[in-house]
Amino acid sequence: MKKLLKSTVCMLAMVAAGPAVTLADETCNSPFTSALIKGQEDFLHVWTLGEVGVGDESDKLVTIDVQPNSPTYGKVVHSVSVGGRGEAHHTGFTDDRRFLWAGRLDDNKIFVFDLIDPSKPKVVKTITDFVDKTGFVGPHTFYATPGRMMIQALSNKDTHDGQTGIAVYNNSGELVSVHKMPLENGGDGYGYDIGINPAMNVMLTSSFTGWTNYMMDMGQMVKDPDAMKKFGKSMIMWDYKSMKPIKTMEVPGAPLEIRWSLKPEDNWAITATALTSKLWLVKQDEKGEWQAKDVGTIGDPSKIPLPVDISISADAKGLWVNTFLDGTTRYYDLTNPEAPKEVYSKKMGSQVNMVSLSFDGKRVYFTTSLLANWDKKGEDNEQWLKAYDWDGKQLVEKFSVDFHAEKLGRAHHMKFSAKTKAAALGE
Amino acid sequence: MRRKRRLPLAVPICTSVLTILLVGHIWPNSASGGADDAVPLGLPPLEAHQRPVKAQVELGRKLFFDRRLAFNNTNSCAMCHIESQGLTSNQSARAIGMEGRSLSRNAPALYNVAYQDTLFHDGRESDLAQQAWAPLLSPLEMANPSIGHVVDKIRSFEDYRGLFEAVFDGHGPSMQTIGDALASYQRTLLSGNSRFDKWYYGKQDDALNADEKAGFEVFMGKGQCATCHTVGEKSALFTDHKFYVTGIGYYNAIGAGSRVAKVELAPGYFIDMKYEDMKSFSAPRINDIGRFAVTLDAKDRWAYKTPSLRNIELTYPYMHDGSLSTLEDVVAFYDKGGLEHDGERALQPLHLAEKEKADLVAFLRTLTTAEDQAKHEGYR
Ligand code: HEC
Ligand code: HEC
Repeated sequence: MKKLLKSTVCMLAMVAAGPAVTLADETCNSPFTSALIKGQEDFLHVWTLGEVGVGDESDKLVTIDVQPNSPTYGKVVHSVSVGGRGEAHHTGFTDDRRFLWAGRLDDNKIFVFDLIDPSKPKVVKTITDFVDKTGFVGPHTFYATPGRMMIQALSNKDTHDGQTGIAVYNNSGELVSVHKMPLENGGDGYGYDIGINPAMNVMLTSSFTGWTNYMMDMGQMVKDPDAMKKFGKSMIMWDYKSMKPIKTMEVPGAPLEIRWSLKPEDNWAITATALTSKLWLVKQDEKGEWQAKDVGTIGDPSKIPLPVDISISADAKGLWVNTFLDGTTRYYDLTNPEAPKEVYSKKMGSQVNMVSLSFDGKRVYFTTSLLANWDKKGEDNEQWLKAYDWDGKQLVEKFSVDFHAEKLGRAHHMKFSAKTKAAALGE
Repeated sequence: MRRKRRLPLAVPICTSVLTILLVGHIWPNSASGGADDAVPLGLPPLEAHQRPVKAQVELGRKLFFDRRLAFNNTNSCAMCHIESQGLTSNQSARAIGMEGRSLSRNAPALYNVAYQDTLFHDGRESDLAQQAWAPLLSPLEMANPSIGHVVDKIRSFEDYRGLFEAVFDGHGPSMQTIGDALASYQRTLLSGNSRFDKWYYGKQDDALNADEKAGFEVFMGKGQCATCHTVGEKSALFTDHKFYVTGIGYYNAIGAGSRVAKVELAPGYFIDMKYEDMKSFSAPRINDIGRFAVTLDAKDRWAYKTPSLRNIELTYPYMHDGSLSTLEDVVAFYDKGGLEHDGERALQPLHLAEKEKADLVAFLRTLTTAEDQAKHEGYR
């Protein structure tokens, strides 16, 4: 259930505002990200969880060549271990797109990678005092704003439950401010994702669960009625500039990834609830008030397909939705966001979590790992990255990397980079 | 290692007598100035070896809450025995440790642990100072690679400089002093002076209402609860410190056919899921044979220690495996006479009327100490 910060959203905003260039890149990190990739991406970086019994058992950033013209196309070209297992999870670019911040949900370390040479990312800073400074545990979403990195956490250091908040750092890695998730006016204190719509000066957040649940064996958790009570059921619309909540909306069943429509005339975002397997639309009503609306189910909710990552197309007409437990990806026609329609589905393997879509919508990448103890066990614990072309009708596999055969670990969050970018950054 | 019970035998006896004298008229809230051995109303006096060493308590508390004591710096004693969750965790049936590993048991609430004859659900440990090393070294819990690793780590912490030496006659961190400090802190976790105590021992007639008093009658009489959860004339720990088979352990280990979980996907919205359909994402559960693992006596198969019931409304979920979520579930469990098993039966069906069950639950809720209730945050 992760957030690829790739909500296209962002770019949308950029496209709308800037000159009409053809952009590729992935469908957006944060609307404030600059130095976007023009055309085909060259590398894909996979934040990978170390796994007991696999290679050096440590978390690592794995770099894969995804340039079809390259002799090493489809191969792992670089891998850097950061030491130990700390529940590697999500990553996010700084606004200048040079540095990639990568977090761990268990030991709360944050690694800052310099991508000046994208074929060889290198750790330039490690933040080890996130917990001491903020009181939060589980740095999850890394969301760039001008000169800043917003970090949505999942838990806290006193109870390891889901009461948490947002920490704002500057690009040098210093803490600027801390914002607790509100408990007033219907707030439940949980956090998960951040999605900002700069044009409307709003920020939307979603809600998941605390350390105890996200670290626990998934089978044990599902059978534990007390654990199952500890999931978020709210989404909050904030005034982005003042960081004050405007409205808390009830969205039961753990609403996760937030994707704003990137079309400038649109005023909506879409999300999926992991436990109840529904799509929810967050949209302004005629009076301009934000409302959350259940707009459809994903698969058969009584079987808990567990929708995890979602990825919206740049034109906001399509949405990829992965369902983890049945290992299936589904494509929804979003032409009418009030009534999304599943138009395509494909069984990817025993499990699938993340999906990353290129900005032109033509290339789609998938990985398998959700959380170390939520991943399937034994034979069903496949770990791979698979790259596909999408022609609007079907997915055609281009290559795959078996993360177990390569002794890497559990493949999780993906980010794109390009060689040309180094020149653009002028270093 | 130095012994922890350092006082000659005569001293504990003398002090106990003294304590009894003092306790008779000292209220916990007013227990200040000189009344060092005072305990809250409703608790027995602490014997010498059960008493905290005052000077060590602060250091013990610091250790108890220190997340750096886990190998990866993310877990403390207080993360499984959570101050705002009844000194247990209200978040899961069984405790979650290093890297999310599953323990086979529920974390016991540590209220009044000073009085426990034996420690752990199976009673395998006898002394708090020794017990602390089990979680520190268990790969499932704090996962330190060795004793020396923990001792050296604490020695290296700037903020501990001189603290051990000051309260242990010049001795620094060691296996013994770390255990002793933790023990002293835990010995201060006394909980008494509940509404029940004010009524029963304090003779305050209006401290309980009629339903709660009726519930107490069920507890002592028809419910037979007090045969194991003992209530004395002057004090009550609600435990006889013995071990019984109630059927829960047997049910888990031997199983009762195909099982179905009622899964709450959103508040009030449940679906049924078969265990067999969850196999692909379920790690095998650690088998737990109870007290038998300590005694190898067949009658102890799936026997567990009688827990205290103080602050019981704060310490959910219940039983050694956390399998019962509410006090209503617990009372229904006893009303049925526990679960089937192949040994001698300690529990029999009670045939309680609905009113009796409700009263019994109401009574159990009177065992809460106001100060502990104030620290408890209901999960939002
Ligand atoms: C990962 C969770 C976890 C951590 C960390 C943890 N405990 Fe526990 N604790 C438990 C569980 C579970 C049990 C019961 C185990 C059993 O019965 O086998 C327990 C039992 C105990 C008991 C026995 C209580 C009784 O009534 O029998 C004491 C005392 C205790 N823990 C103290 C500590 C101290 C001190 C620390 C830190 C050094 C600590 N615990 C760390 C989970 C934890
Ligand atoms: C034969 C002895 C015995 C009798 C009689 C008995 N209990 Fe228990 N009780 C136990 C034992 C042993 C456990 C722990 C069982 C386990 O961990 O699986 C326990 C556990 C409990 C718990 C859960 C405590 C916790 O912290 O998890 C509650 C509440 C409780 N009993 C209430 C009652 C009530 C109410 C009655 C009367 C209806 C009663 N008991 C009768 C022995 C007894």
